[in-house]
Amino acid sequence: MKTLAKNKLNEAIEILAQESKVLVPMKVNGVSKFAPWGSEGTLDFEAINTLLPPKDALFPHTEKMYSYKVSNQEVTDLTVHNEGDQQVIFGLRPCDMQSIKCMDDVFLTKTFVDEYYKNKRDKLVTVCIGCTKTAPTCFCDSMGLNPSQHEAADVQMYDLGDFYGVEAQTEAGEKLVAKWQNLLGEGEVTVPQVACTLKVDMTGVPQKLAKMFESEIWKNFSRKCIGCGTCTYICPTCYCFDIDVKNKGNEGYRFRCWDSCMFSEYTRMAGGHNPRPSKKERIRNRFLHKLEYFNERYGKNLCVGCGRCVAKCPVNVDITLFIDQLKEVPVNE
Amino acid sequence: MSDLTAKMRETAKKLFEKGEVVYVIGWEKGRFPYQSPPAFITSAEDCDRLIWDEFCLAGTAKYLLDDKYPEGKIGLFVRGCDSRAVNRLLQDNQIKRENVYLIGIPCAGMKDPDTGETAKKCRECTHPNPVVFDELIGEKVPESDKPERFDAVNELEKKSPDEKYEYWAKQFDKCIRCYACRNACPACNCRECYVDQYRVGWQGKQNNRAENQVFGLTRAFHISDRCIECGECERVCPMGLPLMELNRKLIKDLNELFGPYEAGVDPEVKPPLGLYSEDDPEEFM
Repeated sequence: MKTLAKNKLNEAIEILAQESKVLVPMKVNGVSKFAPWGSEGTLDFEAINTLLPPKDALFPHTEKMYSYKVSNQEVTDLTVHNEGDQQVIFGLRPCDMQSIKCMDDVFLTKTFVDEYYKNKRDKLVTVCIGCTKTAPTCFCDSMGLNPSQHEAADVQMYDLGDFYGVEAQTEAGEKLVAKWQNLLGEGEVTVPQVACTLKVDMTGVPQKLAKMFESEIWKNFSRKCIGCGTCTYICPTCYCFDIDVKNKGNEGYRFRCWDSCMFSEYTRMAGGHNPRPSKKERIRNRFLHKLEYFNERYGKNLCVGCGRCVAKCPVNVDITLFIDQLKEVPVNE
Repeated sequence: MSDLTAKMRETAKKLFEKGEVVYVIGWEKGRFPYQSPPAFITSAEDCDRLIWDEFCLAGTAKYLLDDKYPEGKIGLFVRGCDSRAVNRLLQDNQIKRENVYLIGIPCAGMKDPDTGETAKKCRECTHPNPVVFDELIGEKVPESDKPERFDAVNELEKKSPDEKYEYWAKQFDKCIRCYACRNACPACNCRECYVDQYRVGWQGKQNNRAENQVFGLTRAFHISDRCIECGECERVCPMGLPLMELNRKLIKDLNELFGPYEAGVDPEVKPPLGLYSEDDPEEFM
């Protein structure tokens, strides 16, 4: 396998940064996230997982879609904003790679292609670094992933102490690795294996949940939820958005921005009716979406086991505990 | 098991057996040793889930708003902070006193799960003993005024207006608008938050410096004289915004303008901005 000495890492990223925006794990203003190489902050390749997932690179928190001017009740200067640079996400973990696969399913398959997402996705190259250790809240292997590597990454790297093992897995990956020609060595590599300590048993969970819409478990499990959007906004796979306009004088723009199914006004309909009036319905929707609906539609879980929500929920509403408790709950057919 | 945990369970059990309460809100162990989230106990048999340890960080009182018309009394374990929150909700006519049975627990302070040290909100707490309760379990703990809780504000006040702007703009650049601060806050008890009044459009949905600051500052002003300094907003903020600095700046200003006031300590004393008095300062007029 090709190898890259860690002391050449900066040089390697610098080469990529000549041609594209490179997002790397950093601590910026106290927040761990993926930020552009060279921006203010400190590099954080030791982080098992960044607090904020990399989804912002493909699905920005706020995104201007088009802008317009109006004169004499006619729209003039309609401009569609769908620019976007070549991007490399460098150092994302297998769980976050899987989250990109989930978003690909949503935005690129089954009848509708989202041009805003597609444009960014087409210009994205992913460099995954396998985990060599896991956090107590990590459970990706219970969600069918391998914490050491992800086959969908363009380039897969393995942390081997003083150096990385480097493997191109796609054509885009070959091209990226070719740029490092002068930096790479060759060596025997044993891919490090690591396992999560937190385990959940997903056997039969989607099938069981399909019959549990009316279960008592939702009420009991949702009682302590405070209804904030923390879990959804730090979740790498939550992709709900709202579309709105911002007008000023005779000009304005339409934008989309993240939205959260945990919010009370998320499902409020014209006229004021809200089909998900309380926390019970909202938690139910979120967990069913993660563990059942998405499976039904796309054949995979929408939870990648990154553990961010488990770590950050202010009142420990814990999806892994939910899966555990599910075992003991009778199905009401 | 600690003595207080045993007492908690025993007290809750008795309340169920006497038919005094329909359910009890306390704390239980989460998945990890450093988690003791809120728990809803619905029967005497269930009481053994209750726990009192150094990780009972979350407030209990805000949950009363989820059930404003309960079928009986709600048993609520209250520390100093929770009891002040109850007083606030009572003063705002959000709950009825006869709908709650308050079990007070003096609290020596909780631990921050990340550092293992005493949690910031507890280091800054001036009322560790419950200020209102129907029965008290455990021994009272020493209290002090802790003027040092205003140290950060005093430092901030030394900055120039531009530096202050830069400081807060940078903080609110981090805000993801999850509204955890609002949802955890017992002073945020509006039936409908201005943020959610989507048709009026007070609060734009874009995540940017301007909208984030509109949210942060509006919330701070809304709760200024009703903030009980429980520090929950700061604790639950996933992005680590120093929100109590903002709240304490307003508390400090209010104290200077209208005289010392601590929200939720005495339900008979009205919040300074909820009261008109002829002695109110009017230098700005």
